[in-house]
Amino acid sequence: MPFRLKIATRYLLSNRAQSVLLLTGVAIGVLVFCFMSALINGLTQYQITQTVGAIPHLTFEPREREPRVISGDKATMVLPAVVNGNLQRTQIRSWQSLMDSLSADPAVRVAVPIVSGNALLTRGQAVGSVAITGVKPEQLSDIADIAPNIIAGTAELDLDGILIGARLAKNLSVSVGQPVVMRSDRGRERTVKVRGIFRLGIESLDERVAYMNFKAARALLDLENGVSRVEVKLFDLYAAPPMSEVYGAATGLKVTSWIEKNRRLFDAIQGQGTTGTLIKVFSIVTIVIGVASALLLTTMRRRAEIGIMRSMGVSKEFITTVFVAQGVLIGLAGATLGAGLGYSACWALAEFAKRADGRALLTIDVAGGNYAYGIALATFASALAAILPARAAAKIDPLEAISQ
Amino acid sequence: MTTPRSILDITDLRKDYVTGDTVAQVLKGLSFSVYAGEFLALLGPSGSGKSTLLSILGTLLRPTSGSMRMLGQELSTATDAELTNFRSRNIGFVFQYHHLLPDFSALENVAFPASAVMGRETDAVLLRAAQLLDRVGLRDRMHYKATKLSGGQKQRVAIARALMMNPALVLADEPTGNLDRENAEHVMALLARINAESGTTFLISTHDPDIAARCHRRLTVIDGRLAGIETSSGPDDAGHRPMLAAE
Ligand SMILES: Nc1ncnc2c1ncn2[C@@H]1O[C@H](COP(=O)(O)OP(=O)(O)O)[C@@H](O)[C@H]1O
Ligand SMILES: [Mg+2]
Repeated sequence: MPFRLKIATRYLLSNRAQSVLLLTGVAIGVLVFCFMSALINGLTQYQITQTVGAIPHLTFEPREREPRVISGDKATMVLPAVVNGNLQRTQIRSWQSLMDSLSADPAVRVAVPIVSGNALLTRGQAVGSVAITGVKPEQLSDIADIAPNIIAGTAELDLDGILIGARLAKNLSVSVGQPVVMRSDRGRERTVKVRGIFRLGIESLDERVAYMNFKAARALLDLENGVSRVEVKLFDLYAAPPMSEVYGAATGLKVTSWIEKNRRLFDAIQGQGTTGTLIKVFSIVTIVIGVASALLLTTMRRRAEIGIMRSMGVSKEFITTVFVAQGVLIGLAGATLGAGLGYSACWALAEFAKRADGRALLTIDVAGGNYAYGIALATFASALAAILPARAAAKIDPLEAISQ
Repeated sequence: MTTPRSILDITDLRKDYVTGDTVAQVLKGLSFSVYAGEFLALLGPSGSGKSTLLSILGTLLRPTSGSMRMLGQELSTATDAELTNFRSRNIGFVFQYHHLLPDFSALENVAFPASAVMGRETDAVLLRAAQLLDRVGLRDRMHYKATKLSGGQKQRVAIARALMMNPALVLADEPTGNLDRENAEHVMALLARINAESGTTFLISTHDPDIAARCHRRLTVIDGRLAGIETSSGPDDAGHRPMLAAE
């Protein structure tokens, strides 16, 4: 063993009470560090899967129309107008070729063409406004997990059926199997039966959306050829922003990533990330202060010894290394202990702290504890903290220390 | 007879201590030489500047003026790092207080100067340390913690440590000052024996005339000036004659 390391170890071992306290301090700091990392990573993941679970990663829509000059009946009358959805439904006409290129893209998991529009749903006296989402039956659960969340009836979308959210069903007091009248904003009307009721836990979907068979929706919404939008799920949800740019430029369509649509979620995630960072910074600062002050005390107590070493011709650099080594040893040992405890605590909480329904009480990502990073950072911080005491030790005047 | 080889020459050495705006002239121009193999006493009343002189000779303190050559090297102009290195290789210290490292064994304490230079405790280093402990009569206390030794034993460990690097000069500042009569006798006899057997040069400050009588040259410093250099005569002198220039 290098001699400097031996002295450092000997010093730490000879002052057991102080070393144990110091070790505990560093361990608690790293424990907090790892626990906060796991907690915040878990929370972030939970929020993202909660949100992104039911929404597309990319949405392809027609661009807003440019004002277009349309000639009126009289040749002399020119009428500028923005053609909006009420006059002429915006649609993607060439959606088949878009679907072809999307299904050829290895980053794309699924692409779902959707026709959508507004309708009034009437059942006796009760009227509710719904957003019709027309999808192919086999793609019903590709974007939002409808099928597993059906609480009554089935998830089958035949030509005469619709699926509605639990809230809407309650508002209109309809139940499975009952007929309702749908009147689209194109003025078409049709009687359909409620085949299933779902509850996603997302209010906007549970209260507003009615899923319909793709073909039936096309007829009801007057969209013979085009689709209203194409929704896409990717394998890597963080690839969405760059892909939205690429596809936007290539197709001329309006391509929106899930992040753009969930700015507030993202700000919230960033906010809690900042809070977490702050807590982690404080835990590291605590380590630095603890190690620095303890080693400074050691320096004072060992003044005479350091002086005698210097009188024997030991260099300043030697003394410096002995003290920095103490910092590194304390940091490494304490941090390893703390990371181990942190992992155990996270694991135990994730494993055992459950609600009555079996869901975890805390959203902890056990693997997201940044353990190695915590150990490296705390060790580095301890080494850094040791520099001040080490320099103080190296500066001790041998003569002054010896003659005390 | 061959001229003895001087290992240390100081010329007009002065030291002023400046405290606030008062200047205390402690050494007021000292000139003398120390010869290889000498067993030399530094005498003088308390406060006469003995410790100050030894600190300067040991390169722990810089003189205010004057020249100091040791082993052919001018030390008054050397850098701190050069002095540290020089001290490590050529000077051994024995202080009034033993200053052993309390967390280390007698063996580790003796080996320390060499271990620090080598960067590790090699077998050769530990072997030499063990031999030195044997020489000071502490073979059986080798693995004792420094704190577990008696006062006299500690001082003998400190002597062995001072010899570890085989220094050209051992400076001993009242090495028996903390010991009782019996232990003081033992330590002085030990130093004299080491000098006689290995030719190690000693400069020993003391105000004990009995101890001074063991040395063959006595420098007396009074009020910062050299008051006299006295050479022993008599039958005892032969054994303490300065060694000739031979290692
Ligand atoms: N660091 C210092 N600062 C100021 N004065 C000092 C210092 N060290 C010693 N002195 C003074 O120098 C004089 C000589 O002291 P010292 O060398 O210890 O003498 P001795 O060892 O012969 O007793 C004393 O008057 C002492 O007070
Ligand atoms: Mg003195």
